[in-house]
This record gives sequence, structure tokens and C-alpha cells, in this order.
Amino acid sequence: MHIRLDVERCQGHGRCYVLAPDLFDADDYGHCVLLVDEIPAGREDDARTGVENCPEQALSLED
Amino acid sequence: MEVEDELEAPATPLFADLASADDPRAISAMLRQQRVHTIENMFHLLTHREDVEAALRRPAVYTSAPEAVQLGNIRPLIPLSVDPPKHVKYRRILDPLFAPKHMAALDGEVAELVNQTMDNFASKGTCDFHEEFAVPLPCTVFLRLMGLPLEDLDMFLEMKDGIIRPSGDTMEAQSPTRKKTAENIYAYFEKTLAQRRRAPTEDLLARIMRSEVDGVRLTDEEILDICFLFIIAGLDTVTDSLDCIFGHLSQNPEHLRQVAADESVIPSAIEELLRWESPVPAVPRVLGEDVEVDGCPMRAGEHVMLLIGAANTDPAAHPGVDSVDLLRNPNPHLAFGGGVHRCLGSHLARVELRVALREWHKRIPMYELVPGTVLEYTEGLRSLHHLPLQFPPAR
Repeated sequence: MHIRLDVERCQGHGRCYVLAPDLFDADDYGHCVLLVDEIPAGREDDARTGVENCPEQALSLED
Repeated sequence: MEVEDELEAPATPLFADLASADDPRAISAMLRQQRVHTIENMFHLLTHREDVEAALRRPAVYTSAPEAVQLGNIRPLIPLSVDPPKHVKYRRILDPLFAPKHMAALDGEVAELVNQTMDNFASKGTCDFHEEFAVPLPCTVFLRLMGLPLEDLDMFLEMKDGIIRPSGDTMEAQSPTRKKTAENIYAYFEKTLAQRRRAPTEDLLARIMRSEVDGVRLTDEEILDICFLFIIAGLDTVTDSLDCIFGHLSQNPEHLRQVAADESVIPSAIEELLRWESPVPAVPRVLGEDVEVDGCPMRAGEHVMLLIGAANTDPAAHPGVDSVDLLRNPNPHLAFGGGVHRCLGSHLARVELRVALREWHKRIPMYELVPGTVLEYTEGLRSLHHLPLQFPPAR
């Protein structure tokens, strides 16, 4: 499973990297940077938490 | 037309009570029965999460033109009243200064200010949380951040209230106070900028003065317009949030116990209570072009309020949103707005709230409303007139 980031939609709410800091990080502007390409085994729930808490729906999961 | 006439009457008082109601969720639910309300044929309310979110995402249509927010300022507030493409320039300067990593570094400093504020009443076993904590704390943090003297606290509170809560029942009656206060704010920061040029400092204001876009620094006017916005957007909103959160906890002992027993609950409790209370219940926009929502035509130049509180409690968007769950996950609320105008200070606000809740409950884990208290919330932005608490005297 992968995480997809729509950089146009991300507005730097910072929910993803606060909730799952080893999967998501912030750039200098506080916008999301993906730390992993493939979601590591067993980390699907954290990935989902980061994705589903985005108020802009800038993140999604795909196979 | 008939339908519109029927609904015009109820929507107006409901909207006016959105911040001050004991239970704004009930009002939001009534307003959500219709996706759009039109008041006096020219002022619209969007009530559904889906529509609010879509509007926040379209700044060219739902613009932040200066007439959306008129608070005595003589030029547009930066970056609030500026839309893309110019808005991008300002956010590129300001976003890094308010980025979560910088804000997280303030933890210790904010903790110190929280504890100093609590020193004034902890041993007494009682306080007016609003007057003695929620009002001074955000202002003190702001002064420290900007490198301004703490002795200016009372003057800053006066400037903030003169703009946000001026006396008078109508906009017209409030206008002279706003105008005079605005003049004072511009004059104060003009003087400060001149001082800083003579004797440079190292603080947020200094970093704003030094920052460049494409090799060009901000003009003095631009810096003044940013400072003006900081005062009116950065102080009252954190006070409102503190009042809302502690107001809720003091009336809901099971939630208070949950927060006091386990510090790790605090971050998600803050998100949930910001969603539930939505201290900023609505954000204004001005239409840049004609649009239609749910068959309701809205014309360019007309004003639209995006009802953040109604969006945050919209059951169509998320299951179970009509009750408080301090561990709610997911919780993609819009309490800090959304789109390009997402609250610039959201990460600072979160640090202030997190540290305030943590330090407060370490010292005062149990408290309740002083018996006989009837809480009254304020109009416009949701804070409390007073929040009298009692607790076992603490060190």
C-alpha cells in the first residue's frame, strides 16, 4: 500500500506528521512531506490515521 | 420566494446566536436543515461541511476581499485580506516563522508563562479563569514572541478589545472606538519599527523585518498590516479556545478526569473540543463571481459566511460527531479554517493550548464551577464573560 499526497491541496494543517511522525514530515513551510513510499508492514493503521485526519483530503491510500 | 420568506426570519436570529448559545450544536443542526440560507436577499450562510470545504478551496470565487473583514484597519490585513497570487508571497514569508518545529520549541517558555500566570491564584483555591488566565496568557506569549515589553500587556488588551469587542450595539456605534484603536495600533507599531531599526533585536518581529521574497524586503506598511492582524487574530482566538475548553471540562467531570489522569490525552482532547466548540463559528467571504449552491443563486459582491461550527458537527461528513469523544480518530475538523487561508497561527495556538492544559492539570487537576454560576458566552467569537472556578488550593 502507498500514500498519495496532493501537494496542491495540502495547506500545512500538520495533522498527519503530528499523528504519525515516522510516516509524514513537514517542510520549512509546515507542509507535508512523505517519508515512505511503500507503507511498512504493520503500519497501515498509522498511515490511515494520518490520511484520514487531513482536513483538506490531501492524502489518500492506494494499492 | 415563498420558501425564502419563510426561512428568512428564523435564520437571522439563529446565526446571531451561533457563538453565544449555551449549545451552538443545536443551532447548527437547525441551520443545516438547509444547505444555504439567504438573509435579506444578499447575505448567505453555507451550513454543510461539503459546501464549506469546497468554498474554502476556491479563493478566487469565495474571496477574502478587504470588505469581508472591516475592523478599523485602513489597509487590507496581511495575509487575511489578500488572496492569491499576492497571498502566496506573504505566506512564503510567514509560514516558516510559524511552522510547527519553531512553535514546538516554545514549549518551555510558554510553560514558564503559564505557571507564572497560575501563581497569582493557585493558592487561593478560586479564580475567574477568563479574567485571570485565558485573557492574559495569549497576550503575554505574543509580547514575548515579538520581543515587546510585558509592561505593555494592559495596553495590548485594550487595543485588542477596542477592535474585537468595542462598546456599542451596532457597527455604526462601534465604529469610533474601532477607528481610534486602529490609529493607536498603527502608531504603536510605527514607533516600534523605528526603535528596532536603531537597535535590532532577535525575535519574531525582527525576523519579519529581515525576511525577503525574491530579494525584496517587506515595506513598513506591509509589516504594520501584519502586526495589526496579529493583534486581532492571535490574541482573542486563543482566549476563546481556552474559555471553551475549560468551560467544557469544568462542566463535564468525566472529561476532566480523563484529561487530568493522562497527559497523553491532551492533544486529541484539544482537537475534539475545538471541533465541538468551534470558537470561531464562521468565516466571512465575498463572492468574486456569480455562483449557485443547491439551486440558490448568489451574486458577485455578495457576502457569504462559511459556518465552521455547523461544518464541524455535520453528521453527513463523519459518523458520531454529535457527541464529544476526547480520543476521536479521525478528526479532520475545520476549526482553523482551510484552504490557502488556513489559520497562520494554528501551530502556535496548539502549543499554547497544549502547554496550558498540561501545566494547569499538573497543579490543579480537579476543579469545578463556583456553585450558582450561569455561564454566558460572548457573541461573534465564542468566549466566556466569566469562568469562576473553585479547586483545592494548590502550591
